[in-house]
Amino acid sequence: MASDEESKREKDRQFQNEALRWIPEVTRYALSLTRNEPDADDLVQETFLRAYRAWDSYTPGTECRAWLFTICRNLFRRASQREQRQVTCEDAELEALAAAAVHASAQQSGCGDIFAQVDLSDAVDRALAELPEAYREVVILVDVQDQSYDATSGVLGVPIGTVRSRLFRGRRLLQEALLAYARDAGVVRADRDSSETMFR
Amino acid sequence: MTDMTPMLDCDAVMRQLWDYIDGELTEERMAAIRAHLVLCARCQPQHEFELTFLKTLARVRSEHSNLGSVRERVMAALHNEGFAAA
Repeated sequence: MASDEESKREKDRQFQNEALRWIPEVTRYALSLTRNEPDADDLVQETFLRAYRAWDSYTPGTECRAWLFTICRNLFRRASQREQRQVTCEDAELEALAAAAVHASAQQSGCGDIFAQVDLSDAVDRALAELPEAYREVVILVDVQDQSYDATSGVLGVPIGTVRSRLFRGRRLLQEALLAYARDAGVVRADRDSSETMFR
Repeated sequence: MTDMTPMLDCDAVMRQLWDYIDGELTEERMAAIRAHLVLCARCQPQHEFELTFLKTLARVRSEHSNLGSVRERVMAALHNEGFAAA
């Protein structure tokens, strides 16, 4: 039987190998939640402390990153006591079809390939920040943190169907915001009759 | 496309395009949509549009200006908790 000291050493070794490697990802995620570095720093520190204390409840070899995201999000929500926004549209397939309309609109404006042609980094940052929280957190987890629908469902504590519908709507809202930005900034012509783009 | 691959219309593909891009469908469904996209002049541009949009989004990762300081803070807090790095 392993001594207490050996058990402790093994726990620390596992925690180092499986949990601490995700500090950069958890920091990015925390930053996406708090939107400022000091609060994100506090959140990351508290996340890893809680994770260390609860390490016995983690099953080695499973999705450690998603587990850390879950702790991080729960801490953030508890601290901010934010009420989750009510989302009225939960139909993923209707959202998927609506995406086709965004593409059609982009083509009409002559910017069907805008995402390939124009650097929209700043605009994406702004559009993400302005996205309602319920959509933003799903888009961040799936599209920025590269989490599966299933892992995202676990982190957020909502059914996969809700993840899909919020993700698809979030993407559509982002696309619409980026196309509006491109038109307003004159990156593409607002003139619907023109197929000529004005990429800078 | 194999004989076993079900034929899909554009509407069916559009409904599942995001799931397809995210790799969240069964292998059979993935193959059916892939086969449709190869042949369909209407759906293929939309597929490209969505792919480039997601690449744009993935490039935008909020970066902390000093990740080293975060790591130091985490390690210091863990050491106070009794953690010993190997």
